[in-house]
Amino acid sequence: VTAMPRTYPPAVPIWCAGCGHFAVLNALRAAIRDLEIPAHETVILAGIGCSGTIQNYLGTYGYHALHGRVLPAATGVALANPDLTVIGAGGDGDGYAIGVGHLVHAFRRNPSLTYILMNNETYGLTKGQRSPSRLGEWGGGEGWLDGPLLGLSIPSSTFVARGYSGWFDQLRRLTREALEHARAKRGFAFLEVVSPCVTYQDTYPRWEQALHDLDADPSHDPQDRAGAFALAAELAAEGRLPAGLLYRAPPTGPPADLPAPARAPIDPAQLRPRYEAILDRYALRPGGAPPEPAQPSRAKARPAEVRSLDETER
Amino acid sequence: MSPRAVDDLCLMVAGQGGDGSLTLVNLLGDLLAGRGLELYQARNVASRIKGGHAAAYLRASTARRGCLADRFDLLLAFDEEAVEQGGPRLAERGYVIYDASEGPAPGERLPAAATVLEVPFGRLAVRDLRRDLYKNSLAFGLAARLVGASDAEAEATLRASLRRLAAPLIEANVRALRRGFEYADERGILAGRGPWALAQGRPGERLLISGNEAVAFGFMVAGGRFFAGYPITPASEILERLAAWLPEVGGVALQAEDELAAINLALGAAMAGARAMTASSGPGIALMQEGVGHLGSAEIGLVVVDCQRAGPSTGMPTKPEQSDLGMLAEGANGDIPRVVLAPGDPGDAFELTVLAVNLAERYQGPVYLALDQAVSQDAVTVPRFDLDTARVDRGRLLTEADLAGMDEYRRYLVTSEGISPWAPFGTFGGQHLVTGNERDEWGRVSTQPANRARMMEKRLRKLETVRPDLPRGRRFGDPAAEVGLLGFGMETGVVVEAAERLAAAGLPVRGLQPRTLRPVLEDVVDLVSACRRVYVVEHNATGQYARILAGAGIPAERLESVLRYDGVPFRPGELAAEILEREGA
Repeated sequence: VTAMPRTYPPAVPIWCAGCGHFAVLNALRAAIRDLEIPAHETVILAGIGCSGTIQNYLGTYGYHALHGRVLPAATGVALANPDLTVIGAGGDGDGYAIGVGHLVHAFRRNPSLTYILMNNETYGLTKGQRSPSRLGEWGGGEGWLDGPLLGLSIPSSTFVARGYSGWFDQLRRLTREALEHARAKRGFAFLEVVSPCVTYQDTYPRWEQALHDLDADPSHDPQDRAGAFALAAELAAEGRLPAGLLYRAPPTGPPADLPAPARAPIDPAQLRPRYEAILDRYALRPGGAPPEPAQPSRAKARPAEVRSLDETER
Repeated sequence: MSPRAVDDLCLMVAGQGGDGSLTLVNLLGDLLAGRGLELYQARNVASRIKGGHAAAYLRASTARRGCLADRFDLLLAFDEEAVEQGGPRLAERGYVIYDASEGPAPGERLPAAATVLEVPFGRLAVRDLRRDLYKNSLAFGLAARLVGASDAEAEATLRASLRRLAAPLIEANVRALRRGFEYADERGILAGRGPWALAQGRPGERLLISGNEAVAFGFMVAGGRFFAGYPITPASEILERLAAWLPEVGGVALQAEDELAAINLALGAAMAGARAMTASSGPGIALMQEGVGHLGSAEIGLVVVDCQRAGPSTGMPTKPEQSDLGMLAEGANGDIPRVVLAPGDPGDAFELTVLAVNLAERYQGPVYLALDQAVSQDAVTVPRFDLDTARVDRGRLLTEADLAGMDEYRRYLVTSEGISPWAPFGTFGGQHLVTGNERDEWGRVSTQPANRARMMEKRLRKLETVRPDLPRGRRFGDPAAEVGLLGFGMETGVVVEAAERLAAAGLPVRGLQPRTLRPVLEDVVDLVSACRRVYVVEHNATGQYARILAGAGIPAERLESVLRYDGVPFRPGELAAEILEREGA
């Protein structure tokens, strides 16, 4: 065993007694332990809000993101070093309001990381404002946002689940399965946890009634996206929520050989021939050979993912 | 006609977007570069894909120049609007090749002594789907005669340029080229007997490259392996090049869903130990401001490229300006250390990008590269980049072995230089907390007053630590003159050439191209201290750079702003005339 310096002492949670987030933290701690993931290979990135302190409690690498930007930062970490177990976490304000655009694109881009969204229907840290996931009660006829239903609607999503702080065994299993999904490089594992705020929005009694336990529903098939969507939509219409593994895409074969930019060679001496070859395409040699016609500065071909906007505004 | 010897020729090709003006300028550039001349190539396009007035410009000269000349010697005009746009800048005895398919050239727009060659391209060129291409080849033949190239030279250049096309297409274009020669014969412009005899340039290799491409290349050479960006004019080439190049060296280039994602993707990768960068233009950089403040607070090293375009708001997307300087120098909430570098040409862009990547990791904060549309997109001949000068300096980065020898590791350790050793995510023994909140040395959020003050001072101190390594400006002109001239980015080539004109007119100036805009370095302070008056040339409406200088304690009464904000670059003669007028000379 290599010697290791003393690092930061994990903090004591700031949450109110009875907060649903304790269950999320315990489930995460258990999953990391069950899967034997070393602390230095674990990165927990959290948003702004009460939930955005979860990175301080486990002794892993931790990052406190800008409000709503957990997913881009987590995606950057995951793409830079695929050896890491990357866990994004945050609340419903962070993920369903200010950062919801990134959630949509995380489903689309499908990076191999876990995102645990603690949904308590409220802004706890700023003292009880409504969040977009609050069922009913909205003035002006505004509706609510169902994250798992959103995820199911995006064709490239691969793992969509909902847990409940009050059902710890299921939550612990779902957390582990989410981590396993991402660690197997199968893509983006989205776990919404309905996690009540006992101070501003105590939903324990309501959710106990509103939740539909998928583990107890023999007709539910987590490999059937359309079926899961239909069920979630049907329940949503009644103001109810499915809890459990909604959808997990079947494996599509061995994971691709992912680039690892954080570990890629960068010594310019070692890569010199490659660099010089690129410069050659820009070289003019007066009186000698005519200039190479396919200079990148004039090339018509563009990388497939990138549209040419040379001569236009966005 | 007896050819006039010239060592500096400037031409404009214009028509509607899609007419192929850029293709023709590229061909002429190839031809003139073949003679060892230095090139400066620019364009002026509408903000749309097809149609609208579009012009491409080429200056070929024996001396390397960083801007277009005062006047065009040759105007290739595919329509009347091209004459309207280019005519006022045509040299007194300039030449015009005009597509007369739809009628004669509007001569009243042109200098009286100009020679107009009206060519009915529509009749001469083959009418089929590839008509524009033939039209360009035909015009190229005529233009090649004018610039004094031999027919063989012109044909070789055309063939080289088209060599990826199918053989019948190449031959059809060569026939169009020869048709251009015949037309020149009819007009008495014989091979080797054009109006100009262009001087021979230097032998030896050089690059023809734009600033954006140089930034992308410099980033890769400096070990940059992660890039995220969102398409925006005039920054998109950086994303496009890196999307092509980074996968080849184990890196990733990503098109983000917006600029908020772009900067946060990049800083995520940076924390994991990948050298990272993002690039955008004004509107996107405005969206990134929260992220830039976060880089400063959380101490994450990242390069942020701003290819400035005319603002405010969406402004004029394809036009150059330097009006983001206030945002770059002062944007984002709170006080953070920041570095703003400004390259003046592609060679600078390469060098400063390599430096920026190293600086970002060394001082663990944001490093801006401030370009502008002209520096970003104009293609210029520069000496081949010297890769021997490129080095990788990762600053106080800790490895597993370093950590194994330490008793404890505090991410935000307060040091005399302000810089805390850092371990990328994943390093054994380096577990830590990163946050943009105020925090203690362990990374634990803290609002304790003494800690707050200590941490703020630590962060700001880093800038003093790296100050000696920030790039100094380039001097030009007369080192003893009492009138100073400052210009950076797109103004660089203009101020250097204007200084020559001013000296010739009896007003020597002491010139400087600052390359670090913020912090303000002693090179600028020294220049202003030594001059009774300093002209500060900027492309913005309010003198943003002059304000940065005044804010750094430079005597504002000595600064005289020369501003332009109409979307058009200065020409050296205009600038010299303006300064002479203000000096009452």
